[in-house]
Amino acid sequence: MPTMDVDGKKIAWDGKKMILQACLDAGMEIPHYCYHQGLSIVASCRICLVEIESPDPKDPAKLLKVPKLVPSCQTPAVDGMKVHSISPKSVANQKAVMEFLLLNHPLDCPVCDQAGECYLQDYSYQYGRSESRFDEDKAKKPKKDIGKHVVLYSDRCIMCTRCVRFTREISGTGELAVFGRGHREEIDVFQGKSLDNPLSGNVIDICPVGALLDKDFLFTQRVWFLKKSPSISPFSSGGENIFIEHNQGRVYRIKPRFNANVNKWWISDDIRYGWDFIHNNRLQAPVSKGVPQELSAAQGIGQLDQAIKKIATTAPGSTMLILNPFDSTEEMFLAAQWMRRVDPQAWLVLIEPKVDGQDQVFKNPATGAVTYTLYAEKAPNRRGAEKVLAKLGGNTCKLADVQGKIKAGQIRAGLVLADPFGHGDQALEATLAGLETLLVLSTRPDGLVPQATLALPVCTWAEKSGVFENQSGLIQAFKQAIAPLDNTRSAGSIFWDLMDLAGTYDSAAVRRMMSDLGLAEYAAVTLPEHHEKIELMQFTEL
Amino acid sequence: MAFAGPVLLKRIPDDPAKRKLINIEEYIATGGYESLRKAQSMTPDQIIQLVIDSNLRGRGGAGFPCGSKWKFLPKDLHPRYLAVNFDESEPGTFKDRYLTDYDPHILLEGIAIAAFANRISISYIYIRGEYHLQAKILEKALEEAYARGIFGQKIPGTDIVHNCYVHRGAGAYICGEETGLLESLEGKRGWPRIKPPFPAIAGAFAKPTIINNVETLACLPYIIEHGADWFKAMGTPSSAGPKLFGVSGLVNKPGVYEEELGIKMSTLIEKYAGGIKGGKYRAAIPGGVSMGVLGTDQYDAELDFDIGRKYNVLGLGTAGVIVMTDKTDLVVMLRNIVRFFAHESCGQCTPCREGTAWMHKMLNRIVAGYGKPRDFDMLMEIGLSMGSMPGTTICGLADGANWAVRTFLQKFPEDFKARLKSDQVQGVTLDAQAAAAV
Repeated sequence: MPTMDVDGKKIAWDGKKMILQACLDAGMEIPHYCYHQGLSIVASCRICLVEIESPDPKDPAKLLKVPKLVPSCQTPAVDGMKVHSISPKSVANQKAVMEFLLLNHPLDCPVCDQAGECYLQDYSYQYGRSESRFDEDKAKKPKKDIGKHVVLYSDRCIMCTRCVRFTREISGTGELAVFGRGHREEIDVFQGKSLDNPLSGNVIDICPVGALLDKDFLFTQRVWFLKKSPSISPFSSGGENIFIEHNQGRVYRIKPRFNANVNKWWISDDIRYGWDFIHNNRLQAPVSKGVPQELSAAQGIGQLDQAIKKIATTAPGSTMLILNPFDSTEEMFLAAQWMRRVDPQAWLVLIEPKVDGQDQVFKNPATGAVTYTLYAEKAPNRRGAEKVLAKLGGNTCKLADVQGKIKAGQIRAGLVLADPFGHGDQALEATLAGLETLLVLSTRPDGLVPQATLALPVCTWAEKSGVFENQSGLIQAFKQAIAPLDNTRSAGSIFWDLMDLAGTYDSAAVRRMMSDLGLAEYAAVTLPEHHEKIELMQFTEL
Repeated sequence: MAFAGPVLLKRIPDDPAKRKLINIEEYIATGGYESLRKAQSMTPDQIIQLVIDSNLRGRGGAGFPCGSKWKFLPKDLHPRYLAVNFDESEPGTFKDRYLTDYDPHILLEGIAIAAFANRISISYIYIRGEYHLQAKILEKALEEAYARGIFGQKIPGTDIVHNCYVHRGAGAYICGEETGLLESLEGKRGWPRIKPPFPAIAGAFAKPTIINNVETLACLPYIIEHGADWFKAMGTPSSAGPKLFGVSGLVNKPGVYEEELGIKMSTLIEKYAGGIKGGKYRAAIPGGVSMGVLGTDQYDAELDFDIGRKYNVLGLGTAGVIVMTDKTDLVVMLRNIVRFFAHESCGQCTPCREGTAWMHKMLNRIVAGYGKPRDFDMLMEIGLSMGSMPGTTICGLADGANWAVRTFLQKFPEDFKARLKSDQVQGVTLDAQAAAAV
């Protein structure tokens, strides 16, 4: 494996890499703004410049000192090279670039959303000066509303052009461009157009400063209070890796989590902005025939248990479990196990997920490479549900057959794990209208709840842990971010109690159960961990 | 070495009344397109070797050996393009325009020879937008040349049809930078590209491209006609051949004059440009403002490609001499130069974008009378922190700004220090303690 010496530290890498990428992969930071691994290299910010000594092509043992600074983001790493990122020349350049960037930058930190996750703040502390020597008037640029989700504060922009490259190379839509020339230039949208593509929110992530900001998140929370919980998107079958960022039991935003095989650095706007349903429109008390009930958790599940057993013991085969592909595989497995324990001939039904047209594939127009896929299937775990049904076998049927069976008196009691979005509400309400006993586990108070014999409140995916299986068969675990809202609990914990399992719901234990029954792929899955890297800030002399 | 009379200016008489636009008939009648015919009887390798042997160095500002540049084109990679750099935006430079106003065909013949030698499919004459008259002249001349089969025909011995087009710029100095030119040619923002890849490998439209200045190409017919030794007999060992010198500023006869490289600036001014006007020589820009300034004791500087090394300027550049006298306010002169760079900076990389604007604002404040003592060191520091030579910027515009500021401050410190006594900031007097701390 080739190696190079960076400030006395040995860095190894494989394949063809630029110096900066090799260092970042090895956990060593060289400051950079315009470089992003998912975008083309422009080497325009100039803060990553380093001094290098390169092996002489005629005599590789000898090192030739390159007289000028070179951009580490653009210079290939060569076996045996020496890189100096903290030599006096490199440091002088880092200081100079920091000073230049701050010349016209407004003193907005106290009111800027980016504070706490701002490259300008971080690098200024680590690599910059403590005082400004600028005695002139700052250039002022306007704030712009450039899209449905994004606002641009041009005076904070450092012209790294990451956002422009994103719209050109990743979303392929090219809405953003640089206008003007020199120090008065600004990034903007074309006249009459706006930043309007399904991936628009990603420009906020890649903006290193507080220029591009999320309208949704604007002024709502300081980022150092937010905790990041690694999770998986519940909005489609893509299984995009995300962070749910929350504080004191409230979710504030969703950000992408890098995964080289699934979504890379990006998420679509429907994932980023779809999480209102966690805190709004929640069912927080049991309801019976439209009337809220004062029941304890134990009483609630006791009633549910009796309602099913009443039918199952006298007329086996006339109960039904309806699964929606929005719950974790473990929960659906436990639910089906319990149902079959009570009624070995219980019908298992899976609601087909909504499919919104075709998968939308985004490509880099220049290279043709696929950059992101927005999946049309709008549920995260159809495959998990199908696996559960396949494993348990026995009586299964489609939703289309259910109405007939109800009319014929074949099915008299049904337990539904309702979906959080209401995609199939109309069809379900119509189908289950004549059902004698309708039991619903729901996150929302609408949908099937008003017509239910008994509805128990359950929590969303953000409030529990489990696994989803995405469209390509990848099983990914998501970790609980916030505690379940008052009076709600996970569907899994309900079935855990119904099955009289010891202690509290433990998704890992359920995965072991599944593995024991032959679904071996669940044995190895563990919940994702995320540890914040606390940087030891070494500031340079004043 | 003696100058063998007008070479490039042979069809442009000294007497302005006798100058006229030469059409193709008159061009051919005075020996025009003979060199092209002669070149087409040689092999491409022979021509390239001849150009190398003649020591022809680029006349666009960088002075890179022309033949060596041609050799960078990868063998057997086609199609290949030639971009003619007619952007001529360096302040003090007007030689290419002068040549084209009267003798446009010399450029076209040079292009045709270069195209033959390098198997070029398309030549683009990138001409600055402001030269709309010259663009029309060139288009007319191209029409004439096409009608005679100089262009639009297969290059003899190949299946490559060579076409030539005039492409107008839109008013940006940065599009005179070779990769800025290529970007503009492709219809994009004139932001210079990072190198590698180099234009010879992936230039215009990602194809191998050579970029040559107008005057460099105009030398080719004469090199073919008279040979390498004739060319080398003029000039100095490092700087061969004749050169068009533009002289402007405080001289009695500003204009374009042709002499051999290595001529003393004092000779150029006194023998050709009618001498200094209305004062005593104080300072001069040797080759476009990017080169910096020559001091009062450097009046006899030899104008060749060694001038940078010998006289502490960036180089010969475009040989556009701008003359200043003791009546010139050098601080205002530097402010004007820095204003140019701040206005023309493309804005891509941080040091140039912010640094040139900062220096401009600072110099405005100094000219307005509010210069502070520390401004001197600040200007030096900012200037020295930018440029493709230290490696801190992508292209050489910042080097131009760097050298202009650096040489003015180094060679005329008294002029600046005399203006940097203010204890005020924008007209507001600071208290004595604060002023002392500055």
